[in-house]
Amino acid sequence: MDQASTLSSTSRLSRTEPTRREKARGAGGQVLLYLILITLAVVMMFPYYWMLVNSLKGPRGFTANPYSLVPDTVSFDSLTYVWSTGRIGIYLKNSFIYAAVVLVAQTTINSLAAYAFSRITFPGRDTLFIVVLATMMLPYSVLLIPTYLIIWRFGLANTVPGVVLPGFASAYGIFMLRQFFLNIPMELEDAARIDGCNRLRIYAQIILPMAQPALITLGMFIFMSEWSSFTWPLVVLSDWKKYPITVGLSLFRDEQSLYWDRTFAASLIATLPLVLLFFAGQRYIVGGISLTGLKG
Amino acid sequence: MATETYSAGRTEVRVRPPLWKQPRKWIAGYIFTAPAITFIVIFSIISIIVSLYISFFQYDVISEHSPYVGLGNYREALFEDDLFWRALKNTFLYVLGVVPAITVFGFLLALIGYKARHGRSFFRTVYFLPSITPMVVIALIWMWLYSPKGMLNEMLASVGIRGPNWLFDRHLALPSVMVMSVWQAVGYYTVIYLAGLADIPPDFYDAARVDGASWWQEVRYVTVPLLRNVTLFVTVTLAIGAFQVFTQVYIMTRGGPGTATATLQFIIFRNAFQYFRMGYAAAISWLLFIAIFVLAMIQLRLNRSERIF
Repeated sequence: MDQASTLSSTSRLSRTEPTRREKARGAGGQVLLYLILITLAVVMMFPYYWMLVNSLKGPRGFTANPYSLVPDTVSFDSLTYVWSTGRIGIYLKNSFIYAAVVLVAQTTINSLAAYAFSRITFPGRDTLFIVVLATMMLPYSVLLIPTYLIIWRFGLANTVPGVVLPGFASAYGIFMLRQFFLNIPMELEDAARIDGCNRLRIYAQIILPMAQPALITLGMFIFMSEWSSFTWPLVVLSDWKKYPITVGLSLFRDEQSLYWDRTFAASLIATLPLVLLFFAGQRYIVGGISLTGLKG
Repeated sequence: MATETYSAGRTEVRVRPPLWKQPRKWIAGYIFTAPAITFIVIFSIISIIVSLYISFFQYDVISEHSPYVGLGNYREALFEDDLFWRALKNTFLYVLGVVPAITVFGFLLALIGYKARHGRSFFRTVYFLPSITPMVVIALIWMWLYSPKGMLNEMLASVGIRGPNWLFDRHLALPSVMVMSVWQAVGYYTVIYLAGLADIPPDFYDAARVDGASWWQEVRYVTVPLLRNVTLFVTVTLAIGAFQVFTQVYIMTRGGPGTATATLQFIIFRNAFQYFRMGYAAAISWLLFIAIFVLAMIQLRLNRSERIF
């Protein structure tokens, strides 16, 4: 999915030959360019580095020298302390459960709908699809209160289903998968249908395997946004044993603002899974983002 | 088993399914979309109706009856609630500060990054990292950077300046939150602009070069106009998000000091889930929706009239 690099390398070949003056400017330009890029990279990475270093100083080391860029002695005391309270483990487990449930539900529900919208002709299909797209226009802000009231009316406030159900279908996911499904050749399906496959088998055995990259991209987006979501669980949950890591972390602000080293340690634990996921699936994520901006 | 094939000697024959099986063709469409439509109907369509409905009532969840107040909630927000206007002003300041800054920085960063010959994917990863980090984490780390004895003031102290108390100063709190938000979002939009740059056919630059255009002229007359649609997408999505800013404010300042960082979403949250004034909060959320809608329309209109910058 790395269009940027492939395109630019070919474009450099097809450009007119630069003059000598341009070459000289180019070399100097590259130096300046890297100076800017590296400076900004430091600015971007600094808070992360900071989080890491201060998690490893230990409570004593941090109090003694909160500003040092390198820990005098590496100590895991802050991390073990935060972990030993037992709360972080519960928060992490909750976050994983919420993100995993929404991930499975959304990929299934959205891909079923996307399949119908892209490949089955049925009365009212286009009207339905336009309605689905229109819901993308509704700001989260307007939906927050009524969503809470609906969940509360169903008796699901402060429950696991209450947290995950509103995220089970997303217009954006349906739209994205539909775009992808439209590009899968119809002939594949026709052949299968002649062989007597029903719709469900075609969807499960032809379309889903073909759409794997799109499903992985969508899956990553879902997982990351669920893991990071804060406002909804904050609103719907009241029992700390059900808090995801984001809401759990926000308690550190009040309870432990005097113990910054613990806050850093907990933040590090909360961020690590996402960073690992990002490095594992970077291709999919960056590719997916490039798509939203242009083809949207 | 809708159709069967069998070889009748030389040619394949498709047997049409009997008529009573025909409707199944489109029934499948309803079955496949049913789950998604159900959730969208409940959590988007019914939600919107509920939201509009309760905004005309004095609804607080707890009491037995909720009197109908018509446009009373809206009137209260617009004419009696100073905090609403304060929040509206803060929100607008935030949007007008953050959106252009992220757009311009994201664009410039993409421009620079695109010209780099090596390590492009490394820089892209580094710049992108903040946009995949939970906002709660970012807000906590920056709270420490901004704290009176935090890193920022330590740096200022090293060059002999006494740093202020960033998040507790009436004039500095909102700009401090804005700086953090810009830092957080820039990388994401850089990636979008990079994809846009990759889509520009090189012929345009060749033509500009033949005409002896300077680097700045290239950017001004080739790149910016050709990326107009990307810019529109970026500014509109950013504005919609920025209007609803909440987490940063909730974690870092709780709307304070005083009301210096109270944003619309923050007072909606507070009214709905701390004072249980659901009807009033819903009314404010509709006013916020109108603000978003008006601004988006203005952006689309500006985009049609040839001049973005």
